[in-house]
Amino acid sequence: MNLSQAQKSDLEALHEHDFRQGYLDTLPLWLGAFPFGVVYAISALNAGLSNWQTIVMSLIVYAGAAQFTAVGLFAAGAAPISIVITTAIINARHLLLAATLVPYLRKERLSIKALIAAQLTDESFAIGMSRFIDGKGSIRYQLGSNLSMYTVWQVSTILGVFIGERIPNTSDYGLDLVFPFTFIGLLVPLLKTRINRTVAAWAAVFAIAGALLMPGSWYLLMAGILASGIGCWLTLRKKEA
Amino acid sequence: MDIWLTLLGMALVTYAARALPLIVMRKELPAWLTTWLSFVPVAIYTALVVPPLLVKQLDQGPSLRFGAEVLAGIVAAIVAWRNGNILLTIIAGLLCFWLLRWLGL
Repeated sequence: MNLSQAQKSDLEALHEHDFRQGYLDTLPLWLGAFPFGVVYAISALNAGLSNWQTIVMSLIVYAGAAQFTAVGLFAAGAAPISIVITTAIINARHLLLAATLVPYLRKERLSIKALIAAQLTDESFAIGMSRFIDGKGSIRYQLGSNLSMYTVWQVSTILGVFIGERIPNTSDYGLDLVFPFTFIGLLVPLLKTRINRTVAAWAAVFAIAGALLMPGSWYLLMAGILASGIGCWLTLRKKEA
Repeated sequence: MDIWLTLLGMALVTYAARALPLIVMRKELPAWLTTWLSFVPVAIYTALVVPPLLVKQLDQGPSLRFGAEVLAGIVAAIVAWRNGNILLTIIAGLLCFWLLRWLGL
């Protein structure tokens, strides 16, 4: 009895250590995230958001691609509902991340699940999941990794606000092009497979047609939903054949 | 006020996507849905890249353009393809854009 209790507390101590380890193992990814946070905040101020709105978006939305896009839409004076729907589409991929975590979190309390969900990102998911797949993963490790990415995003946002207050007009320097260039950096590595290139080609066609013919930013939704739908249809059709 | 409400809406839909599978899911997502979602990033990223570089908003409405933005985007894409570093991609694109503007394009 005493022994098993001792073993149990050993195990707990091990998992205690996991939280710190998850946090530290994620530090190398800070380098990639930091400039994004800074550029996001500078762009947000230029789009007319206040310091607090810029910081609160990072705190409660906490999703880089969606925040960048929203800033572009705010700058273009898009309707609030279209910004929210666009955010939903861009962040729909989180359904996939969370669904993948489900088997590993089945026994956890609801509050733990809710906390994990709040800070789930592509980066920390990748770190935590590689551990789970090795059989060494734990909830504390995932929480540590999550908090690590959350930290760098908030710190870089605040630094960006500090810098952005001192740069008057970023579009004069072509800095508004940082958005599309950022997404080129995210997109191009995905184009190594044939099916993804097909989806991208359709998305480009829908996006250009939509941007020319439809008001506001609805082309984003149209291209996002239709082109990914074509990719899905082609994949499933191939499987059936 | 509109901006604050928009931020709140953004937070809610984002949290829903992150939390719903963990909190309500009893069985796995259907195959067609996971397949569909797996193509959302490539479709969305493309839609975020192409119009800002190729479509110009004029007073009489949007129209296609082929200027410094597109050329800089192509250079950025080449850098991204060869080296996969996002920061270098952004820097290469911006340097190219500044150079082209300086040349008067």
